[in-house]
Amino acid sequence: MSVKIKGTSGTFQIRWIPKYTFLERLGHWVHAAAYIPLAITGFMLFAPWFEPLTQGSAGQTYRFLHRIFSIALGIMPIVYAVLQPRRLWMHLRENFRFTREDIGWLKAAIPYYILGRHVEMPPQPRFNTGERLNAVTIIIGTVLFGVTGLLMWFGRGYIPTWMYRLAVIIHDLTAIVTFAMFIVHFFLAVVHPLMWQSLVSMRYGVVSESYAREHHAMWYYGEKRAREMWEKHKAEKEEQQPAEQER
Amino acid sequence: MTNHWVDIKNADVIMMNGSNAAENHPASMTWIHKAREDRKAKLIVVDPRVTRSAAKADLYVPIRSGTDLAFYGGLFKYILDNKLYHQEYVVHFTNAANLINADYKGPEELDGLFSGFADGGGGFGKYDRATWGYQVDAEGKALRDETLQDSNCVLQIMRRHYARYDLDSVSSITGCPKGTLEAAYALYASTGAPDKVGTILYAMGQTQHTVGSQNVRAMGMLQLLLGNVGRPGGGVNALRGESNVQGSTDMGLLAHLLTAYMPMTTSADPDLATYLENKTKPGGAWSGGYWTNGPKFFTSLLKAWWGEHATPDNSFAYDYLPKVESAANHYWISIFEAMHAGKVKGLWIMGQNPAVAGPNARFEREALLQLDWMVIQELFQTETVAFWQAPGLNPADVKTEVFVLPAADAMEKEGSIVTSGRLIQWRPKVAEAVGEALADHDILHLMALKLKELYQADPGPFPDPILDLTWDYGGGPTHPVVGELLDINKVAREINGFAVEDLLDDKGVVLAKKGDMFNTFARLTNDGKTACGCWVFAGYYAPASDGDGNTMPASKRRGQKDPGGLGLYPYWGFAWPLNRRIVYNRCSADANGKPWPGGRDLIWWDATADSGTKDADGKPILGKWVGNDVPDFVVTRAPDGAGGRDAFIMRTDGKGGLFAAMNEGPLPVHYEPMESPTTNLLYPNRPVNPTIKVWKTNEGQGVGDNWGTADKFPIVATTYRVVEHWQAGGMSRWLEWLAEAQPDMFVEMSEELAAEKGIKSGDKAKVRSARGEIQAVAIVTKRFKPFTVNGKTVHQVGMPWHFGWGGGSEAPALAKGDAANDLTPHVGDANTMIPEYKAFLVDLEKA
Amino acid sequence: MTDRYAMYIDTSKCMACRGCQVACKQWNDLQGYVPGVRETVNTGTYENPLRLDPQTWTRIKFREYDDGERFQWLFLKEGCMHCAEAACVDVCPTRALKHGPHGITTYERDLCNGCGYCSQFCPFHVPQLEVINRLTGEAKNSKCTFCQDRTTNGLNPACVKTCPAGALDWGDRNAILDKAKARVELLKTEWGFPKANIYGETQLGGLGRIYVLTAPPSAYDLPEKPSYPVSATLWQKILQPVGGVVLTVTTLGAFVVYLASRRHIEMEKVE
Repeated sequence: MSVKIKGTSGTFQIRWIPKYTFLERLGHWVHAAAYIPLAITGFMLFAPWFEPLTQGSAGQTYRFLHRIFSIALGIMPIVYAVLQPRRLWMHLRENFRFTREDIGWLKAAIPYYILGRHVEMPPQPRFNTGERLNAVTIIIGTVLFGVTGLLMWFGRGYIPTWMYRLAVIIHDLTAIVTFAMFIVHFFLAVVHPLMWQSLVSMRYGVVSESYAREHHAMWYYGEKRAREMWEKHKAEKEEQQPAEQER
Repeated sequence: MTNHWVDIKNADVIMMNGSNAAENHPASMTWIHKAREDRKAKLIVVDPRVTRSAAKADLYVPIRSGTDLAFYGGLFKYILDNKLYHQEYVVHFTNAANLINADYKGPEELDGLFSGFADGGGGFGKYDRATWGYQVDAEGKALRDETLQDSNCVLQIMRRHYARYDLDSVSSITGCPKGTLEAAYALYASTGAPDKVGTILYAMGQTQHTVGSQNVRAMGMLQLLLGNVGRPGGGVNALRGESNVQGSTDMGLLAHLLTAYMPMTTSADPDLATYLENKTKPGGAWSGGYWTNGPKFFTSLLKAWWGEHATPDNSFAYDYLPKVESAANHYWISIFEAMHAGKVKGLWIMGQNPAVAGPNARFEREALLQLDWMVIQELFQTETVAFWQAPGLNPADVKTEVFVLPAADAMEKEGSIVTSGRLIQWRPKVAEAVGEALADHDILHLMALKLKELYQADPGPFPDPILDLTWDYGGGPTHPVVGELLDINKVAREINGFAVEDLLDDKGVVLAKKGDMFNTFARLTNDGKTACGCWVFAGYYAPASDGDGNTMPASKRRGQKDPGGLGLYPYWGFAWPLNRRIVYNRCSADANGKPWPGGRDLIWWDATADSGTKDADGKPILGKWVGNDVPDFVVTRAPDGAGGRDAFIMRTDGKGGLFAAMNEGPLPVHYEPMESPTTNLLYPNRPVNPTIKVWKTNEGQGVGDNWGTADKFPIVATTYRVVEHWQAGGMSRWLEWLAEAQPDMFVEMSEELAAEKGIKSGDKAKVRSARGEIQAVAIVTKRFKPFTVNGKTVHQVGMPWHFGWGGGSEAPALAKGDAANDLTPHVGDANTMIPEYKAFLVDLEKA
Repeated sequence: MTDRYAMYIDTSKCMACRGCQVACKQWNDLQGYVPGVRETVNTGTYENPLRLDPQTWTRIKFREYDDGERFQWLFLKEGCMHCAEAACVDVCPTRALKHGPHGITTYERDLCNGCGYCSQFCPFHVPQLEVINRLTGEAKNSKCTFCQDRTTNGLNPACVKTCPAGALDWGDRNAILDKAKARVELLKTEWGFPKANIYGETQLGGLGRIYVLTAPPSAYDLPEKPSYPVSATLWQKILQPVGGVVLTVTTLGAFVVYLASRRHIEMEKVE
């Protein structure tokens, strides 16, 4: 849809297109709402950073909450799979696909996010490289959390101790990696000035058309056309370059 | 025990046979370990299986249950052949030198019998002991050959008697390898050296056989031969099976005794004069030694029981004492046989569980059904308390009226108990009994008062023994329900003994004032001036010093001084008799009164000490026995004078009896148990003790006196105790910590037997004897090994006898199981009738 | 730790009377056989319970050992080893488990939150988690505390007090070690136990229990070389600091990037 916004210097028009489905967004927020408390209560057991909170019946309660929220974390993908299995499968395929364009994106990401310089970025599908990296981390992480978590919860006393200890280590590592990823994700998705649309998109499910064209060309134009455009663009640039160098 | 618990630390070799002291008397291990640490003592454990005691032994000796006499026989032969006996001790303190009647013949001549046997049928009978006596001179003094060479002397008779107990034969009978036997013999016989002492610890594994008394005889003989009796670290030491069972036997609870081991009055003793005459005449039990004072003890007992009603005119109320049939057998097995036959109307049980503990328990439970009434004092609802609810019984069919009197437990009552070491310790009450539970003595008190009341109201033909019975024990605490209870101090005083009137010696000096307690039974008289409930206890409640300046009843003392460092602790409690910690301690010194070498000086003769008496000229007589213990001897009797070497003062001739008459003979002979897997290798025509009594009630029926043979029941079985449980389980199977540690009935067997039967550890097994069948969890273990007996493989299994079906339905035991005694035989020792729980035959298979 | 105490356990004297097992339960108010709640059965051995559990803080293990030279029925009193390098203390998130006075691994029940890590990281499988609710995770740890209420008041642990065989002792660790060494020497030279050895002298920094054994540790099912779990080292010594660094750096990095981006980015140019 189009929205006209009246600003001080005039009006401009934004055309919104849908990007994320209701279930995608719900999944995201449920995951986030579960993950934060899980992280806090989890870190209590991982390291002595919150030690006073871990003790006695308070600690018992937080451990209980960790389990409650872990169910929420684990249930959501299952709900998604039950309600929209094909969409979920497509979503997974999307996120686990990495191409040669991703290297280019990574190289361009540094000047872009820090300096705001619009360097040339290869066209991106609906999820750009960073988003896909994030997704992969989170998905694998959640699976690891789930497996090791269940082992620790129901397997303690039944599984051999080496298995339990290994589960603890994997759970710890997963926590560090995913939380680091979360920090980056939160910063880029919420805090970073350039990325104001990401919050809008995850809340309302829409991005502006121009944003889509700029940042997710493969999604907007289709992969083949986006690549053609990119190749053409690159070729034009190269023509200019040697000319400049000659001068 | 002739010695005592702490004394074990003084031994050089400790032999445990028929005892599992680590499990059943754990506190003894403190002293056993001390002996091993401080004096490098060695521990030998003889047992059919490796017990928790054998696990600590330096030498473990496996023998088949019921073959101890073969083991001892071999040891005697070893000692005699190698001259390892303590020569001087044996010559002076035992009857080894005594000459025996030339007409005496032993089993080596009479194929397993002694001279004088009268066969009563079936190979069982009685002995006439006429040919077993000493040869005497014209004055009736025994003839002795102190060179020990005369062929009629006891030592030579023993040599001939034990000649056939060579290592091969003993190994074949016991199933113990020859090398192990020899090692055990060498080690234990080493205590025959004058400076070495060995102690023997034994318990039911020795006594609960048809030859049980002979087992104990053998141990006595062994210790005499090796010179170990009456010396620190030595002795013949019975580890009693129950707390205060020592006290109970001291106080006459056995059927054939009054208190302090005085014989019960029988139909052969119609009046006092005859009773005393029968005991004191030549050959009688009180004809020699210290027992010649028996009449004083007996009279004082009557005086205690009937007080002012016992006078010289009425023979001190002698007629009030019941007289049992002479030669009657009123021991446990007989009682239950009579009960089974309907001859016993009522049974009063105090803290016992016959439904589980009795031999041939199915038979005994059937016997209980014949009772019109039963009174039982117990802590928990045991299998006997609720016997009418046993599995398989319809309570409606049971006609017995049962009265249950809840009893207080040991911690909930005050009084004295006696340890195996004769040590009497007074214990305070430290907890209140629950509900209306009363101490046994209070229950008896209330019963006695009520009986007196009833007999007063309705006298009948002869109420006097009850009405005249001394019962001035009131004045105790007041119980909220039953009222005034007994004052235990009054009872203690009577048992201790006191002067009924002022006692004066022949010079008119007051020895004791009226009412004073005695501190020695030497004060007792036979003229009615003294009263004493139990003469061996005299002194236990009289005031005495605790060594730290305090005076109190002797058994309450807890003084910790230990002069001599031998662990005697003479100021702690009171050891009967007269606080002698080691009895027969004259033997701790040589013939001349000098202590044997080895550093265990106990008492010795001091020729220069003032004896305390004066001669005709008024000069003090010098010479007395001094030392660290109370001499078990006339204190002024010189070691080289008349009777100076008659150390065994309770025997008529004062000598230790290597050769001494009992029902089955004067010397132990190996006989097989009533149920045996094999013939008697030594005397094939005499398989079993010929003087035991064998009942055959309902023989051949489902429940009856059935006898198993090796063809149907090829496996030897024994029963025993484990540390986690207590006796028939009444005091342990209801306790959660103990039930958890040992929850189920089990049967232990060798890996070889288990493999034969296809049984794995943890499987349920069915164990059958001629008398019953039970189920038990199988423990398959390396600790049992098959025996090679007479060339054949004989297996043995063992079971604890603690378990029962759990008692009443409201509060059943936590630990339950079948009762091992459903399998055991209804036959006992020839002298004591103690049942042969320890060796019988079974078969088993996987359940 | 100069103030370190140890428990001396001489298996050559122990006769498995279970006095220690019962005394511990009595002092610590622990349960035994309770119908419908805790029941034991005989599985073909005297040993019961078969494992330490929340109501059993010490117990006797029975092992039959035949090395061809001498048959031994071995008895071992099992319980918390009170290690100097105690993995349980390090992994405990609440510090309910601590190194306490006398070197005891003390336990404060109020602080425990039932996570159960101690039970999984102990090389001896000692701490027993009493699981009150498997779903909610409510639980409490349970283990021998060397009777910390007694020993911090000058008394011996209950088990040591009760042992009739004199197999147990309690005191300064160096003195206990000397006693154990002398005993092992005696066992080897005079009692015919050539394989006698001490267990607990050096393992895990030195255990709070010094065992005198008459057979190799494996005969008693004791680990020959118990070690501090690698996973515990990894977790406590590596992952914790590394994790902290990673997260801090990431956060700081994000902050730095934020500042830089605010500086360089002209929002008006943003689509």
